[in-house]
Amino acid sequence: MAEKKRKTREDNMQKNGVGKKNKKQFKFNTQRLEKKNNKKKNDEQRKTGPRLPSALQKEIDFSNPNSRNSDEEIDSDEGEVYVNDVYEYEEQIPEEESKKNRRFDPIDNLASEFEFPDKLPDQFECPAYSEDENVLSDDDDDDDDDDDGCNGRNDRWDKSNQSKDEVGEEDDKRHARMLQGITGMPSEAFEGKKRKNFVVSEAYPESEYNPSRDALDGEGRISIQDLLDPLHGKPGYSKLRKRMHQLERKSMSVQAPLPKADREKLERKVAYEQSKRDITKWEPLVKKNREAPTIYFDEDIDLGFSTVGAIASEFEPRTDFEKKIASLVHDAKVVEAHRKDGLKLLELNKISVEDVKERQDRLAKMRSLLFRHEMKAKHVKKIKSKTFHRLLKKDRLKVASAEMQMDPEAAKEHAMKQEFKRAEERMTLKHKNSSKWAKRILKRGLSAQDEGTRAAISDQLHQHALLTRKMNSMKDSSSSDDSSDEDDNDELSPGSDQEGAFKLLAKAKEKTLKVIEEEDEMPKSGVLSLPFMTRGLKKRKDAAYEEAKLALQEYESSLMQLEDTTGAESPKIDTSSGRRVFGVAKKQSQELSSKINSNNNGGNSDSEDDFKAEESVDVGHDNSSASLKDAHINPILLHEGSGIGHEPVFKSFDDVVRDPGPKTTYEVAIFASGSLKKMKGENQVDVNNRKSPRVVEATLPRQDLKEVGEDSDTESGEEMVDGILSSGTKPGYELPSQADLIQRAFAGDDVEEEFDKDKQGVLNEENPEPEKPVLLPGWGQWTHIQKKKGLPSWMLEEHENAKKKREDALKKRKDAHLKHVIISEKIDKKAEKLHTKTLPYPYTSKEVFEQSIRMPIGPEFHPAMSIGALNRPEVVKKSGVIIKPIKFEEVNPYDKANEHKESGQAQKTKKSKNSIGKTGKKMKTREKRS
Amino acid sequence: MKVKVISRSTDEFTRERSQDLQRVFRNFDPNLRTQEKAVEYVRALNAAKLEKIFARPFIGAMDGHIDAISCMAKNPNHLKGIFSASMDGDIRLWDIASRRTVCQFPGHQGAVRGLTASTDGRILISCGTDCTVRLWNIPDANIMDSDDSSDNAAKPLAVYVWKNAFWAVDHQWGGDLFATAGAQVDIWDHNRSEPVNSFEWGKDTVISVRFNPGEPNVLATTASDRSITIYDLRTSSPARKLIMKTKTNAISWNPMEPMNFTAANEDCNCYSYDARKLDEAKCVHKDHVSAVMDIDYSPTGREFVTGSYDRTVRIFQYNGGHSREVYHTKRMQRVFCAKFSCDATYVISGSDDTNLRLWKAKASEQLGVLLPRERKKQEYLEAVKNRYKHLPEVKRIVRHRHLPKPIYKAAALRRTMTEAERKKEERRRAHSAPGSMPTEPLRKRRIIKEIE
Repeated sequence: MAEKKRKTREDNMQKNGVGKKNKKQFKFNTQRLEKKNNKKKNDEQRKTGPRLPSALQKEIDFSNPNSRNSDEEIDSDEGEVYVNDVYEYEEQIPEEESKKNRRFDPIDNLASEFEFPDKLPDQFECPAYSEDENVLSDDDDDDDDDDDGCNGRNDRWDKSNQSKDEVGEEDDKRHARMLQGITGMPSEAFEGKKRKNFVVSEAYPESEYNPSRDALDGEGRISIQDLLDPLHGKPGYSKLRKRMHQLERKSMSVQAPLPKADREKLERKVAYEQSKRDITKWEPLVKKNREAPTIYFDEDIDLGFSTVGAIASEFEPRTDFEKKIASLVHDAKVVEAHRKDGLKLLELNKISVEDVKERQDRLAKMRSLLFRHEMKAKHVKKIKSKTFHRLLKKDRLKVASAEMQMDPEAAKEHAMKQEFKRAEERMTLKHKNSSKWAKRILKRGLSAQDEGTRAAISDQLHQHALLTRKMNSMKDSSSSDDSSDEDDNDELSPGSDQEGAFKLLAKAKEKTLKVIEEEDEMPKSGVLSLPFMTRGLKKRKDAAYEEAKLALQEYESSLMQLEDTTGAESPKIDTSSGRRVFGVAKKQSQELSSKINSNNNGGNSDSEDDFKAEESVDVGHDNSSASLKDAHINPILLHEGSGIGHEPVFKSFDDVVRDPGPKTTYEVAIFASGSLKKMKGENQVDVNNRKSPRVVEATLPRQDLKEVGEDSDTESGEEMVDGILSSGTKPGYELPSQADLIQRAFAGDDVEEEFDKDKQGVLNEENPEPEKPVLLPGWGQWTHIQKKKGLPSWMLEEHENAKKKREDALKKRKDAHLKHVIISEKIDKKAEKLHTKTLPYPYTSKEVFEQSIRMPIGPEFHPAMSIGALNRPEVVKKSGVIIKPIKFEEVNPYDKANEHKESGQAQKTKKSKNSIGKTGKKMKTREKRS
Repeated sequence: MKVKVISRSTDEFTRERSQDLQRVFRNFDPNLRTQEKAVEYVRALNAAKLEKIFARPFIGAMDGHIDAISCMAKNPNHLKGIFSASMDGDIRLWDIASRRTVCQFPGHQGAVRGLTASTDGRILISCGTDCTVRLWNIPDANIMDSDDSSDNAAKPLAVYVWKNAFWAVDHQWGGDLFATAGAQVDIWDHNRSEPVNSFEWGKDTVISVRFNPGEPNVLATTASDRSITIYDLRTSSPARKLIMKTKTNAISWNPMEPMNFTAANEDCNCYSYDARKLDEAKCVHKDHVSAVMDIDYSPTGREFVTGSYDRTVRIFQYNGGHSREVYHTKRMQRVFCAKFSCDATYVISGSDDTNLRLWKAKASEQLGVLLPRERKKQEYLEAVKNRYKHLPEVKRIVRHRHLPKPIYKAAALRRTMTEAERKKEERRRAHSAPGSMPTEPLRKRRIIKEIE
């Protein structure tokens, strides 16, 4: 084999045109170069060139077993037997000579390549080779490769082999030719393989102290391939090789390790990222729990025994005593005895016949006694004898009186009974000859009756008198009041004429004056003397005083008026009729006030009214008393132009209006406005809608009222507005204008002014006027200066400022520009506590917050089914149940969404079972159940 | 002519038992009850008043220790048991129901600083300044019930001596591991005498450690370098560190929200963080007037209890800026530890005055069994109160708390100080170039940096 190698080598040398005669070692260098080139070519050929038939390949392999092995195989020569057989360098060269102990400077060695040190003159033949850069690089490679193979080879071996090489050359040639002939491939195709076994000799044996250049370059390492080769052919080799290939393909360069701190930092970073990722998996679960309206921790708990029986059944005897007892209890005999005993006990439950009989007898006796008593009572009741009954009554009374004397309870009862009787009598008037019998007798005449009947009648009357008699002792004051009232009435009743009115008014005036003058003394002690009580009293008194004053004014004015009328009006006009009208009108006004918005007659067709009005015109001035039922007819009537007797009507109307409270006048105003409208022809419009339009129109009269004055006698001064009306009137008499009428109608009350006053009052209350500066002698300035200059300037300034401030505040008010409106800006303390000052935290808008507390949640407002869900707390747990930490479970987002919707919308829907199953065991956020 | 008559079937109106309620038919037409809002408002007001009247949160004190209580642990598997340890090395197991000591665990030579129980409720772990970790067997619940003798002392299951003193210990939820904090964070196994893992990031002492109950491999520690550190056992490395301006005394994970934890800080506030976004606190819980010493979440995850150096215990909503409740008594001193009971109904605090105190978590809650009607009524009142809680009268009553004078004054002082600070900053901002002084929310202000 070695010979063959040598032959191929020689062959190569010839082919490359290098003289065969040069068999010196340094020639090898060049040969090596060539060989390397060829080999490379061969390798390429092997990869890319034509393929041999497998049988032939086998043959080739057989003839040239090394050819398949790459040069690397030869490199790892130490493992190979045949190489070792030949090279035994260690024996041939002593250790000292191999310069083992001398360390080669790697640089020296490298430099030797270029400098040709004298030590190794034979290794390099001529510098010509080294001149070519390309070749040189090749050479380097070549060297590497070959040196791998040449590890530990020496010159002598080469020299000794030279002769053999020559011999083998011939054979190699022939072999190559043969191969060429057979395969038809150029002989070069086979040469590479054969030339692999170049052996490069070095001056010194290679060792760890004398490493080859390749080793120093760091490329002479043992590769995995080297290790693999010897395994070639053994089972599993191909698999191993394949894996190695894979590894090589994916192989990455290994970086130098980082400093420890950085490494740890990276490690920590990775650890953090990982733990972060792990923790994030909880997020849906946590989110679900947080969003759930309620979380439950009381699921799946076994609290153990629920009944005493269950506990008892689990009892096991432990101590000796217990065991003994148990043995006794569970003894068969005892059990049997107990059973028998039980039967006995049952027997005891039975009731004997005698007992039952006895009881029945007793009951029967009682019943018969009752019956007898009843019968007796009936019998007594049937007895007609009066004496018997009288006696009986007497007896009863006696007993009763005795009883009354004996105990106060009975007396009280008796009194109550008496009182009841009295009340009954007063209500039914049973004894006031109202019975059929009494009526009949009275009809016949008392004189026609006999003695007894008369006596009975008188007796009855007496009884009535007795029962209805006033208990003067109790109601003294009221009776006296009554009497005084009666007196008043008496005084009033005859005075249906002017004098009466005079009298009445005078009297009223007197009385009010008295009231005004009367100075009520404030209570000095007791509850009434408390400051707030006295304040209240004072206030009330003030109000009363005001009222009285007003009344007084009224009286005076009416007195004046009365005098006027009596003086001015002609005697023809019947004043009594005026009175009568007054009465009717009064009634009518009362009617109006009682039913606030009932314009019943307004509902009636106007034509009818008109008709009536016309009638009344014909009749004369008396008409009004008969036909006038509504205030609103009045103006129409007037406009129709009844010439006679307006005055009393107006008068009466004035009176009417003056009398009732503001409400009534308001109503009247409404009517007036309504009638005005009707006059303009829209009479049918508001027949049906009685309420709403009137309220709207309410503002109308107010404007008219502006001109209303105190004086009611200005009627003649006004001009008529309506042409129609003026045409209808007689030339001799000037009808009062509409405004005038209204003015007259509302002579007494000035709504507008009242409202203004009210508003001013409210304003003053909410923005009080500043106090006027008061001069306090000696305060603020020296007295003499004060005397000269008056109030100090700063006081005035302050006052001015306060005034200005108030005005500003008034201007800022919401109702500053609204004439007919008061908007109170007073803060209501009671309402304040029902509002939050700011919007509470989780809410973002006021509406949402208000919505959230709109619906009540109490049991009075919801059925019991939904109450539980509405009031459920956020966390439902049971005390005494250990709560374990959260356990991981997959959360289905779809499921969750579903659940959310359900919980939001309804309470009754029960969650389906599978969804419960999904949400795991630990913490089920169930659907709200009720 | 159609005659309308009321017809009711007897079946509907016949009661099955004499105790049954009579059926009442109501007309729910809103027009019939126009005053419902006013009615409910008054009810809410009355409910608020009644709540104040019935607010009696203190149930009882448990005394027996002879030194300040340093730490407590609840038994996750047994409601009645609570462990407490004191500065003199005494560990006790209390029965909350009877408020007596059930068992003692003697052995520690110095102060016990950390106490925790395993999830199955079998093993108690304690550690302290004597450089030992001790494992104890928790006595059986039945024995706890039956035995009256309070002086039965338990023997430690194992004693592991280590190199440094310990400051805190916490047990993993559902696992076999527990973590101790001291010079570094050590992860121990029940069955190993040496830590299976230890973490060190910086040289400062770690003063508290807490496992995440939802995510059992994540734990958080606080250290004396004012840091909060998160560790992950799966990658066996620390994950992230956050440094605040003041030290964090304790930390607690929300058991229902595994990403969130709340830190009890020296600056009187508690800070709720999302472990994924440590650059900003999610919520700042203010109200304490001195350092917050301990914090514990309610098992419901909706509120937590804090114990403070200002001698009060407060209960906060998990998302509320101010406390819902404040508990204090005349005799309670600095509170070093506070715990929620496992059923979220009680709160236990341990303080400097060697006593444990038992409180109700809801001050006016009625203890014991409630009849359904009663419960419904209370739910209704609660709902109504909740609805009208924004209105001034109700709000005033609901929010009113009586405070000890020193705390009241300190709170006022703090308010003044913060107000002054705010004003000053406002003025500075007004007098500096626009944009040169960006406003920083309080949630970020106390954070120095986040270290990777």
